[in-house]
Amino acid sequence: MTVLIQPIESPQKIAGAARHLREVARQKQIAPHAVLEVFDRWAAALGDRELHDVPGVTFLRLWLRRGNLEPVLLRELGPSPVNGAWREDGRARLRAFPLGVVGHWPAGNVEIQPVLSLTCALLGGNGCLVRVPSRLVQITAQVMEKLQEVDRTGLLTERIFMASFDHSRMDLQEAMAQSVDGAMIWGGAEAVSQVRGLPFPHWARVVVFGPRLSAAAMDAETWGNKTDRSSWCRRIARDVWQFDQQACSSPQTLFLERGAGCDPAEFVEDLKQAFQEENRQHPRQQIEPALTSAISLARASWLLGNDKNRALFPASPDWTILLGTGTEMPNPTQGRTLSVLLVDDLLEVVSKFDGTLQTLGLGIKDARKEEMLALTAGRSGVDRIVKLGRMHVFGSPWDGTELIRPMVRLVRHVPSED
Amino acid sequence: MSTLAEIEQAIESLLLQPPYGVDPQHRHSALLALFKKELAYACEQNPRFRNYVEQWPIDFCLADKISDLPYLPVGVFKTSPPLALVGADDVKRTLSSSATTGQVPSRVVLDAATARRMAKGVITIIRDFIGPARRPYLVIDTPENLAARAEMGARGAAIQALGSFATEVVSCLRPGHEGDSSVDLEKLLACAAKWKDSDVLVYGFTYVIWTNLVQPLQRQGITLDVPNVRVLHSGGWKRLHEQAVTREVFTRGVASIFGCSPDRVIDYYGMVENVGVIYPDCDHGNKHVPAFADVIVRDPLTLAPVKAGQRGLIQVCSVLPTSFPGFLLLTEDMAEVIDYDECPCGRRGISFRFAGRAPKAEVRGCGNLENTRYQQSQGVGVA
Repeated sequence: MTVLIQPIESPQKIAGAARHLREVARQKQIAPHAVLEVFDRWAAALGDRELHDVPGVTFLRLWLRRGNLEPVLLRELGPSPVNGAWREDGRARLRAFPLGVVGHWPAGNVEIQPVLSLTCALLGGNGCLVRVPSRLVQITAQVMEKLQEVDRTGLLTERIFMASFDHSRMDLQEAMAQSVDGAMIWGGAEAVSQVRGLPFPHWARVVVFGPRLSAAAMDAETWGNKTDRSSWCRRIARDVWQFDQQACSSPQTLFLERGAGCDPAEFVEDLKQAFQEENRQHPRQQIEPALTSAISLARASWLLGNDKNRALFPASPDWTILLGTGTEMPNPTQGRTLSVLLVDDLLEVVSKFDGTLQTLGLGIKDARKEEMLALTAGRSGVDRIVKLGRMHVFGSPWDGTELIRPMVRLVRHVPSED
Repeated sequence: MSTLAEIEQAIESLLLQPPYGVDPQHRHSALLALFKKELAYACEQNPRFRNYVEQWPIDFCLADKISDLPYLPVGVFKTSPPLALVGADDVKRTLSSSATTGQVPSRVVLDAATARRMAKGVITIIRDFIGPARRPYLVIDTPENLAARAEMGARGAAIQALGSFATEVVSCLRPGHEGDSSVDLEKLLACAAKWKDSDVLVYGFTYVIWTNLVQPLQRQGITLDVPNVRVLHSGGWKRLHEQAVTREVFTRGVASIFGCSPDRVIDYYGMVENVGVIYPDCDHGNKHVPAFADVIVRDPLTLAPVKAGQRGLIQVCSVLPTSFPGFLLLTEDMAEVIDYDECPCGRRGISFRFAGRAPKAEVRGCGNLENTRYQQSQGVGVA
């Protein structure tokens, strides 16, 4: 079966594909180490020059490497299951088995998400039924062609069926949901709610990632340090630019803790230069007119809302820095528009977060303060606390959830004879 | 002379010019100078507006193009209280847009001078399309939308704006019990008989004309036989496009009901925030800009003005308002620039065609929240 994406018109086609995938998963068991071997070859193939400009491919190559995924498998499944064997658990033994067929509903805004999602289920030995959002069909096809090249025996590709159909085709969505034993759902509130409401079998395990927002925070010792400031600003710019600030891990607001002698005007000037440079390297190729309107409105609303607010932006909608004060995150614009808010106490800010916030990017000099912030953030619903510049680095756990284990059954065997 | 008096004098002189006869270069110079004065005046009146202008990447005093001047997105007029350059005591009328269900309407405040200029602006434009004569005015709406009130919606404002062309005004819809309306056929037929050989002006919202006049009369096989009618309509095509009614179908339908030629049916684009300026279609299907206004179509990717033949977001520019900062407004609508001069109809300056509301962004990604968890628990939506 080809892994290239198939336009689907009939529910029967989906049901048929799922039957085939389930049969393959049952008949031909595959150990994680065998999956890792193919992934390693896939990572190498993705280094081809023609894929250099495909967003996210550089990260995907790192993700697929054995050195990256083995520790994830070890943590989630334990040592022996990596080799497809039983592991001792006191007097019992444990071994991971696939759920069967896992359905993937990736978000439309992260280019490599269909692939990232399916790799998690493949490591558990599952068959994968993936709905590829229309915007990502071309990019996903390019990436999957490389898997086809390196997986000549079809070890993985026969476990994958990628479907393309309009999200409003409820008959196809329902057929897909009815055909799976597990589901990985990613995306915005509307999309996630719609998919969650589909008629999954009662046994299906459903894991939902998103929607979330993210923020960043720096203490005065870090942002006020003139020597290191440019480097921190470049990190922030990188986090804002990736995925066009529309991912759940994209910082929407940067909180700066006030400090004696620290001038926020100087900081945003450095940040402006970092944004200009990032924009020079990664200019937008296109934009939805509605986003341009939203960016213009965000700039105007910010400055008209309070005559002490400041903003830096070019004549184009390329990027925007909104400077002011406040401990609450403003409504996000998600168009490379970063609110920079001065606060007296970062702990006060972090303690106000609710579970909406996924990732907190930090630039904190004082390790004890960072420890306190991490603890408070964890209590306040934040699932990832990382260094600025690494906010999008995909890893397990994500959204507080493991990535491979939810899509396997851990079978417990207590030997009948001691 | 005060700054405001100077501005008012300059506006009056532009209103006296032939609306579509001024050389584009000459018009640009005159408008640029006046917009700069108006921006400086608005900065004096409103510190928050001054804050916006001061943070604009180009110093407006040094700008040599209207397209470089600081513009506001129309969405800023959805705030309460409305953004104003005059005190509450000077507000004579508040206009609100016709927001669709669930949306917040825009609101703009008019003082007496701005209201007067608004009427003058519309008269100047319409006169160029239908001539100066007064004539019977048939309003395809209910009577309550005829009255001038302190708070007026877009429909009422549009109806009022054409009142200067009327010898008598008749509304031909009657309100129903459930907020709907229906045609008062007896009244309509009486008017048609009485005005059979007269010049007649008709105005209504596009979808109101279609659903409350054309469709019911077509169903009953009634035509009005008023061949000298001029039918003006506005308000957008969204609802009709949802019913698969094209511009051609609409125009033919209206013309057949009135028994007139299709070129007597004129669509115009306008919005309450752009007071006093409307954009009727010329005989070649293009929209034009009068001497006291301008239109810039901006590329959404760069916000730079597009070339002829390209599409972008519409920025409307008008020197008329002095009671609110509505001089330079980026709309959420799209247009295609046909040319920057030389429309075959003879009207000078930019000609463009409306291309609908900018479509909402389709990507609903993993960062797209409707409510935060706290807001959801409190029953509050993200604005």
